[in-house]
Amino acid sequence: MRTLIIVMTVAVLGTRQTSAQRPDSTRADSAARARADSIRLVRELEAMTARGGAGQAPRQAGASNPRMLPDISAVGDLVGDLSPKGSTQEDGSRFGVRELELAVQAAVDPYFRGDLFLGFSDAEGVHVEQAFLTATALPWRLEARLGRFLAPFGKQNTTHRHDLHTVEHSYVVQRFLGEEGLKNTGVYLARVFSPLGFYQELILTVVDRIGEAPEDLVAEEPANKKLSGLGYSARLRNYWDLSEASNLEISASAMTGRKEQPMAFGINDINAALARQTTAGADFTFRWRPLEQGLYRSFILQGEVMKQFNHGSVTLPEPFVPDDYAGPTRDFSGAYLFARYQVSRRTFLGGRYDWVQDPEADGVSLTAGSGVLEFFPSEFSKLIASVERRSLKGFGGTTRFLLQASFAVGPHKPHPF
Amino acid sequence: MSRTISLSLLLAATALPPSRAEAQLRVVTSTTDLNDIARQVGGARIVSRSIGQGYQDPHFIEAKPSFVLELAKADVWAFVGLDLEIGWMPLLIDGARNPKIRQGGSGYLDVSKAIPVIDIPSGNIDRSQGDVHPLGNPHYWLDPDNAKRIAKLYESKFTELDPAGASVYAANEESFERRLEAAEKSWAPELATIKGKPVVAWHTSWRYFAEYTGMNIVGFMEPKPGVPPSPSHLAGLILTMKRTGAKVIVMEPFYDRKTSQFVASKTGATVLILPPSVGGKKGIDDYINLMKYDVSQLAAALR
Repeated sequence: MRTLIIVMTVAVLGTRQTSAQRPDSTRADSAARARADSIRLVRELEAMTARGGAGQAPRQAGASNPRMLPDISAVGDLVGDLSPKGSTQEDGSRFGVRELELAVQAAVDPYFRGDLFLGFSDAEGVHVEQAFLTATALPWRLEARLGRFLAPFGKQNTTHRHDLHTVEHSYVVQRFLGEEGLKNTGVYLARVFSPLGFYQELILTVVDRIGEAPEDLVAEEPANKKLSGLGYSARLRNYWDLSEASNLEISASAMTGRKEQPMAFGINDINAALARQTTAGADFTFRWRPLEQGLYRSFILQGEVMKQFNHGSVTLPEPFVPDDYAGPTRDFSGAYLFARYQVSRRTFLGGRYDWVQDPEADGVSLTAGSGVLEFFPSEFSKLIASVERRSLKGFGGTTRFLLQASFAVGPHKPHPF
Repeated sequence: MSRTISLSLLLAATALPPSRAEAQLRVVTSTTDLNDIARQVGGARIVSRSIGQGYQDPHFIEAKPSFVLELAKADVWAFVGLDLEIGWMPLLIDGARNPKIRQGGSGYLDVSKAIPVIDIPSGNIDRSQGDVHPLGNPHYWLDPDNAKRIAKLYESKFTELDPAGASVYAANEESFERRLEAAEKSWAPELATIKGKPVVAWHTSWRYFAEYTGMNIVGFMEPKPGVPPSPSHLAGLILTMKRTGAKVIVMEPFYDRKTSQFVASKTGATVLILPPSVGGKKGIDDYINLMKYDVSQLAAALR
């Protein structure tokens, strides 16, 4: 109706203007023509509106985020420990907020995206989980990141702990990379290519150091004083679609860097030596998910094997002698195998077997078998119940009952693959 | 004579597909419907493939690295939008590292921009309302008028990226629209059968189809979008179906049929599995066939 009034007004004004400028002899003709044109236009508009057809104006929505606010989301990660012989958590709690993660993410400009993840926990207080700038406009399928990021080493370490299908990381990841996984700060460069007809990605990083500096160990000089003391890592991913419903990823990773290792005692506040530590690993993930019934059925089989080499040269501070060195002098190996089957739309059953030569116990074998029941009320919440039998060779075993509840609030995030 | 030869050569050059594969626009779409319409409009001047399959829930496609390779080479990334692909698209776009298909790139084609969207929520929304789409209902391709809009959008985008093919794209788009309109006339009597009849749908994905066909959705199997049915919801739904006389439960092939069959057994209704997309059933290999099949099956079930 509004359109009709506007069109009629324009037509009338147009007619008046025309009649003022032209001789009387043509006035009647031009007025008739203008009237006919305006009626035709109105009829067309009415027809378009009536049929709601392809000519109808598309959605005229404005920007959905006019203030350009970043995506802000939070993840709560709650853990319960009902183990029969007492809590097995580091702080001894039966129920605790393991971590709260706050994420702020947005495009910075046409060239970069910014991702900030802050962690809040009773044990660590507030800390920077990840904070990196990603260059999004590089040529040759390159991606570069600058900042702190999950170390691209192995499969499990590239997943946030609260996104795992188990309550905790596998023991080999916990012992070799850290309880929460390994994060490094530096430069990350990755390139996707497919010269052999399948997906490959090479990821290289140069970082300030491997992991965080230990608070209680002081070496004679910073580990990164020389460029050879920086941390370096490489990961090569290979991926194949085996069928429409199944696929396989086989990858290899390696990293090296100098770390502070303890001396038997301290002299002049120096209680650590710098020693090179190199870790290499291989991992595979097989996935099956039928496309038509993929909401209800899926299967994952995943395994990783790692070896930590500690035979690198040790730079002993003066006046220590080699016998004073109390750090690791042998290599350690470890592996896990994990399987998970989806039994209904929201329920998954899983199991994991762990084996690792525990560096914290001079390489004594630690083995663990665990079963996991995972329940997703929705995409945004997850409940896990887990039972685990863990044994340290020669020291007996422990049974653990663990519970986890995690939830996410904020914008919808991509599902991890 | 030379003018005739020149004209013939010009026509031949226009009519024949580009001889080199690299001259063709590489189009990747999120769904098979967008893929089929892209092919109808692009013809031999494009190569197109879909990430999702017609029998797959488009909300939950896995962001497989092999898709990254497809997107890395794409000139156009056409997607449904309205957050339908939010669970997997960002990983693929980031992984592809292809500036052309990033937001703001020449090949980034949010098809929903051409669509008059329905079911845009008003007021405050949160996830207690289920997996709600804040920008509106994204299942718009099941309305032929929207298919025409998609075709026009493709014509415009392909012409922008490949001006030499402008006349081909325009002719193809017109041809698609004519064939679709002819098909619509052929199934008009079936629409008359469907109009006003009460049905139950699994998900809100049939809302545009309902707008087009006139079927009256009196309830959904899902209590809230994306939330699986609960016993109490089903009990209420059974009462609603008995009260309204709904005799058909429309659902996609990728949802749990047992629950629908249970409700059908309590109400005497028929469970009608309809392909929501091209390729959702064997033999349904283009958009017009998809609409024809869905309309005819629904009309037959409601007779």
